[in-house]
Amino acid sequence: MFGTLGYRPKSLIPTIRSTPNVEKLVFYCGADPSDPDAPTKVSEAKKAVLEFCHSMGINAVAVELPDPFDFKSIAMTIRKDIRKHKRDGKEIAVFNIAGGTKPTSSAALLVCILEGIPTVYIHDVTDEEIHLPLLRMEYNQVLSPEEREILRFLLRNRNTEMTEVELASNVGKHKATINHHLKNLIAKGAVRLEKHPKDARKKVVKVLDSTELLLGEDT
Amino acid sequence: MKVLVSTFGPGDAGKVLQAMAALPYNRLILVAERPAEECDGLERIARLEDMIGRTVGFERIVGTKFMQVVDEVCEILDRCSRNAGTGVRNDLLLNISGGSKILGDAALFAAFRLGVTAYHCDRRITRLPVIHGATAVDRFTKLQSKLLSAIGDGATLPEVVDRMQPAGKQAAERVIRELRKQGLLASELEPGRVRLVLTSQGAEAARAIRAAGQRTPS
Repeated sequence: MFGTLGYRPKSLIPTIRSTPNVEKLVFYCGADPSDPDAPTKVSEAKKAVLEFCHSMGINAVAVELPDPFDFKSIAMTIRKDIRKHKRDGKEIAVFNIAGGTKPTSSAALLVCILEGIPTVYIHDVTDEEIHLPLLRMEYNQVLSPEEREILRFLLRNRNTEMTEVELASNVGKHKATINHHLKNLIAKGAVRLEKHPKDARKKVVKVLDSTELLLGEDT
Repeated sequence: MKVLVSTFGPGDAGKVLQAMAALPYNRLILVAERPAEECDGLERIARLEDMIGRTVGFERIVGTKFMQVVDEVCEILDRCSRNAGTGVRNDLLLNISGGSKILGDAALFAAFRLGVTAYHCDRRITRLPVIHGATAVDRFTKLQSKLLSAIGDGATLPEVVDRMQPAGKQAAERVIRELRKQGLLASELEPGRVRLVLTSQGAEAARAIRAAGQRTPS
């Protein structure tokens, strides 16, 4: 089981109780640097969850987020962990996204959508568990293998200014083929063309940051 | 026209201003759970927009349950995607950083359901990996989509086969097997018959198919 934690252990513990046969809990927490009381409150909440898990015989791992407001970095961290668990053949029963800062919760929801993980919310007032319908968007359903190959190449070489012709030569495809795939990728909002910094007649292909979130570790 | 839709709540003016500065738009719509008079910061945003002769649209969410909020955000996005007078399609951008946690997450969910370009604008601007125009519907074949829509509140096999015409019985049964395997369909035993019903995932897929059907391609 995965979860996010803020100040309230009550936002996480009900899901541990309602999920059968939990062997391991991984939860993400981090203190708001602008709130002087946050480190104490987060630490107390973490301690309560760890104690609860210990008494239930559940292996619990708390992952400290260096910046609980850095949406992209949180999403990348969580996705990496989820994929590692999947690779290790572990079944992920549920992800509780109720606790933590808003960016932490939203980043966790994003990962659940991209990875197809069952997601649960705990209502702030009633403490009722709300299971969200599984909404899975797999990039391999919306991107062709050639488009994925181009995106991976662009991500690996994101610091290199590359024109369409250079890209074609680097991935070993005809310029017309690359042009066709790039048109599709631009329409899907995965890449854009920008003016070449040194030659105004040329355009360079830029991959958008969101593509890294979409492809995850696969790059 | 580019329409920027942003979730909003008390104290969120800074996040909306970040979105206004970073994203191109012609019209701004704020989506909030609280009434306009309770949202401090709204006046400031309205004043800034007024300087360039624009007004700020304000849409209030009344539902409190997660999926109710998702449905309301989807309705708002659908409304904003067309010009009310001319019917011409607008380009939508969605910022999910404002408002309560439930509103932000529901907006994120809605963005994926409808394939709307979305951002999280706070201290940093993060574009979310929503593929423009790609929705949950892309997971399904035409027949699978038709069957998910045909089930409604539940139906027996002969009823489903009837609703799937001109596809034949064999095709309908094959699609039922496929959707069962994906966990989207379940069976309920009733006296003398078996009813096919949508699971919660199946119901969400059917909602997404309905939503996509209402939106003409951009």
